[in-house]
Amino acid sequence: MKKAITAIIAVVIIALMALGYADMAKHSHGGEGEAEVNPQEIIFEHLGDAYGWEVPFNHSKRIPLPIIVWGKDGLHCFMSNRITDGQTYEGFKIAQGGDYNNKVVQVMDDGTEVRPWDFSITKNVACILIAALLVIAIVFKVRNWYKRNGMKAPRRFTAALELVVDFVYTDTIRPIMGKEAPKYGPYLLTVFFFILTMNLLGLIVIFPGGANLTGNLAVTAVLAVITFLVTNLTGTKHYWKEMFWPDVPTALKCPVPLMQVIEIFGIFTKPIALMIRLFANMMGGHMVVIVFMLLIFIFGNMFGTGVGAAMTPLSVALSLFMLLLDVLVSFIQAYVFTILSTMFISMAHVHEHEHAE
Amino acid sequence: MELFKPEFGLAFWMFIAFLCLFGILAKWAWPFIIKSMEERADLIDKGVAYAQEAKSHLDNAKAEADKLIAEAHNKQAEILREAAKARNELIEKARSEAADEAKKVTEAAQVSLEQARKEAEKQLRTEVGDLALQIAEKVIRRNIASDDAQRALVDQYLSEVETKN
Repeated sequence: MKKAITAIIAVVIIALMALGYADMAKHSHGGEGEAEVNPQEIIFEHLGDAYGWEVPFNHSKRIPLPIIVWGKDGLHCFMSNRITDGQTYEGFKIAQGGDYNNKVVQVMDDGTEVRPWDFSITKNVACILIAALLVIAIVFKVRNWYKRNGMKAPRRFTAALELVVDFVYTDTIRPIMGKEAPKYGPYLLTVFFFILTMNLLGLIVIFPGGANLTGNLAVTAVLAVITFLVTNLTGTKHYWKEMFWPDVPTALKCPVPLMQVIEIFGIFTKPIALMIRLFANMMGGHMVVIVFMLLIFIFGNMFGTGVGAAMTPLSVALSLFMLLLDVLVSFIQAYVFTILSTMFISMAHVHEHEHAE
Repeated sequence: MELFKPEFGLAFWMFIAFLCLFGILAKWAWPFIIKSMEERADLIDKGVAYAQEAKSHLDNAKAEADKLIAEAHNKQAEILREAAKARNELIEKARSEAADEAKKVTEAAQVSLEQARKEAEKQLRTEVGDLALQIAEKVIRRNIASDDAQRALVDQYLSEVETKN
């Protein structure tokens, strides 16, 4: 009985999805001709940043966000809904096409468009702030548990969080860092939880999620740069000695500084690899989900509305599968970033006696 | 391809947000959580070790108690055995002593009986002799010159009678 009800509900949902597409296609036929679907544009619109936050089921309405720009004539602050529909406000507008496509530009007196220093709270920035607050909230939940209940074992959500903290700290950071684990643990745990929260928020398609944070190079670059700084600023003397005068035959390092070049190259490739790995994994996941959804429209345009409608259940199923896979990838990538940061930092903390062993 | 050009504003805010997040968590949350978790892990380890020790103690106590009980059983059996032995010995000794005593009493009785008989015999002989002499004296008083010769004659006759018996 229960199975039958589930099956009926599933069939109804699939039928509604297909009908929804067919209905939409009919309307667009009736309108100003065939609305050409441009997959590339849609993909990059979804993956990119924006000055407003979309709301579900509406393409024009957006939650306005503050725009903060430092133009030629000083600081300007206003809400994004003053310019998102193509208007110009205080000499600023959103560029269409050109070098600064979809970015705020200042229109100069001679008509040229100049990009100001843009500190706007865009969708991504707002989502970063939300993610940071979320991380604070969940971490303080665990901390408050210990404050209030001491040594009692937590339950439910707190227990799950504690399991993750334990997994990252006790099973990963401590074995690698050893004695220095308490010193660098807070940084690495913060990195893990921040990345994990941003990854998962990116998978939620509506507010407060939907921002492709870790699939944005700026975000991953900042994280990688911080790990780079921590690694190299806390490096021991021995780490630098290994870099500039490694224990290799002299021919490899003296007249031509071959090893030194390789080592210094290595310093920079490590964080760049961190940055690219997280960025590519998350962006790729999001992109595949969107492409699967777009298959409906691509097939619909190519073979007619019927094929597009028939494609709907398959597309949704594939997207769902990819999203679930992305949940897994979110965990894995957050963990990989953390474990690699841990290893880079611990590698910069080599000591002579450890090396001799 | 906006995605591949890191946006300065985004990086700026990301940096600020991360530093704030790290500052807050590193100051007030993570060290406390790590410390508490490790303390609790230690506590649990200690508890487990304590429980194991207690269990081994308990097992030992049980084994010891079993040993003591077995020992007590052995001792009891031994004591019982010894008591039985002592009792048997005592009975045996008493029995033999009683037998000895009885034998002695019997022997003494026999000896005294013999003596009494001999004495009685002796007395009877004297009395019979006297009686015979008195009778003979009465019968033949006048005729007999010497008393002593007559008496020896009676004694001889009496001895003859005795040996005949």
